[in-house]
Amino acid sequence: MRGLDLEIHKGDFLAIVGPSGSGKTTLLNLIGALDTVTGGKVEVFGQDLSGMSRRERAELRLRSLGFVFQAYNLVPVLTALENVEFVLELRGEDGGRGATAMSVLEDLGLGELADRRPNEMSGGQQQRVAVARAVAAKPRLVLADEPTANLDSENGELLLKMMRQLRDEHDMTFVFSTHDPLVVSYASRVVTLRDGKIVSDIRKGSGSEAPGDATEAN
Amino acid sequence: MAVTSTLRIAWRNLGRNKKRSSLALAAIALGQFVFLAVAALMHGYMGEFHASITGPMIGHAQVHAEGWLDDRSIDLTIDGVGDVLDEIRTDPAVEHVSARIYAPVLTALTEEGFMSFVVGVDPDAESHDAGLLPGLEAPGLMGQGRVLIGSGFARRYDIEPGAELALVGQDVDGSIASGLFTVTEIVSSPVDIVNNLGIVMTLDDAGELLAMYDQAHEMVIHTRDIDTVGETVARLSALPALADLEVLSWREIVPQMVVMFEMVDVMLLVILGIVFVAAAAGIANTMLMATFERKHEFGMLLSLGCGPSRLARMITVEAVTLGLVGVAIGTALGLGLLLITQQTGLDYAALGGASDSYEASYKGLHLSSLVYPRLYASDVFAGMIAVFLTALLSVVWPIMRIARMEPMEAMRL
Repeated sequence: MRGLDLEIHKGDFLAIVGPSGSGKTTLLNLIGALDTVTGGKVEVFGQDLSGMSRRERAELRLRSLGFVFQAYNLVPVLTALENVEFVLELRGEDGGRGATAMSVLEDLGLGELADRRPNEMSGGQQQRVAVARAVAAKPRLVLADEPTANLDSENGELLLKMMRQLRDEHDMTFVFSTHDPLVVSYASRVVTLRDGKIVSDIRKGSGSEAPGDATEAN
Repeated sequence: MAVTSTLRIAWRNLGRNKKRSSLALAAIALGQFVFLAVAALMHGYMGEFHASITGPMIGHAQVHAEGWLDDRSIDLTIDGVGDVLDEIRTDPAVEHVSARIYAPVLTALTEEGFMSFVVGVDPDAESHDAGLLPGLEAPGLMGQGRVLIGSGFARRYDIEPGAELALVGQDVDGSIASGLFTVTEIVSSPVDIVNNLGIVMTLDDAGELLAMYDQAHEMVIHTRDIDTVGETVARLSALPALADLEVLSWREIVPQMVVMFEMVDVMLLVILGIVFVAAAAGIANTMLMATFERKHEFGMLLSLGCGPSRLARMITVEAVTLGLVGVAIGTALGLGLLLITQQTGLDYAALGGASDSYEASYKGLHLSSLVYPRLYASDVFAGMIAVFLTALLSVVWPIMRIARMEPMEAMRL
């Protein structure tokens, strides 16, 4: 990241675009407290990540963040349902975990795959389970790295609609790194990166380009 | 992390690399099995040895006149035997007590003479299972000049029931003692000295022969609980009738045997150490490989908010599950062997290629090549604890590595 200054607002449906190597994934990892901040300042929900211990960062990820990785990253020994339930279990949610997890899977058209393990599913199905896992606990912020990369446009659209519905109903915020025009078309805001710098920041609907509108991630 | 997922993931992870987990399980199970098998054989062998030591010859405790145990002099006697016995029997821990007289004599049979040993006993008191004459209808066969002789003794000198033996020795006053006795029965005693040299007669007959009236050389005590024999001995020593006598537990009488038992315990500890190493190698190898292979997965779990301590718990549960399943298999095999052999016994002689088992006695101690294995719950638990600790130790390094990892750092590997 070079001189990057970005503020993400509650309820944003933000797509980060840019060529490979532009720093999209790195930016997501920094916001998600997955990597160490070596310079500058990253604040998430008012908390400075560089001042947080490993345990505090883990707690932040658990309580407030959801992740969708490009390579799915499901727990290989758990079924689809158990993978989704696992995050709820980590958060200490007791009653109705199974029902919540199942409902999210069904919303994504995965009800029939609930008992399958990752190696028994296609890439696209695994990706949808990964999304289900990320959103099941309704975190305040979901960070998704190329969430539609392995999906056909029908499933991609289903996924984005569901995410947008979650944003609308639960005030969740979504940040995507993507090359997919479909994601960009659904995004309420599009940030373009090049060589670690923001080259444009467009909020749709307002019609205005707003570089420098944001603050954190510096 | 909830217990359910931790256990579920740990258990299923063991099945991810079946070959590796099977090898680790085999190593642990074999270690536990070998430990239990050796422990069972040792306990069986030493148990028999222990029973022999604390059985008919030495008992759990003994009473003597001061110095008799070292000198075996005929005139170092316990006087007032009846009163002493009565007082010993007042202790609730005492199950059996019997007085004995020992004296070497010269025995003449027709024109032949040989050394033998007079063993004066109370037939009633010696007929219990741990007595010198277990299960023998002795009272009718002894007394008033009628004696029993040991089977080895009878065989060596070709003595049959009905034979008359002339005994000559020294009485308690130093005078010549002599008497004529009739053999009524040949007995096979668990005690070597009775079997090979013994002329067993009643205390009255022996007292008459050796001028020992209401006197004895030794009192052998069997208690209800051998583990508390030290306390029983302390109580008996304080009795007024035993004030001038020495009361010793079997541990004080044969300290060398105590050392031997302790050596067996040390040996079992060494074997347990070997089990420990085998288990450590199996578990550590499996866990290290599993950790190296799953760095990406651990990174993913960390990114989901699983703290290092939760991951550590998961890996620990995995290692402990592996270890305990191995122990369970080893224990099942060990118990199987025990079930097969505890009825029939295991013949060392046969294992060594001999066609027959042997029985031998040495200094009154009965030894047999046939061993009945015994296992204690503590043996099973010892193996279990050793493997449990090994499992904990074997995950220390993988856990330390995980604790230092950033999620993305791990996922990039």
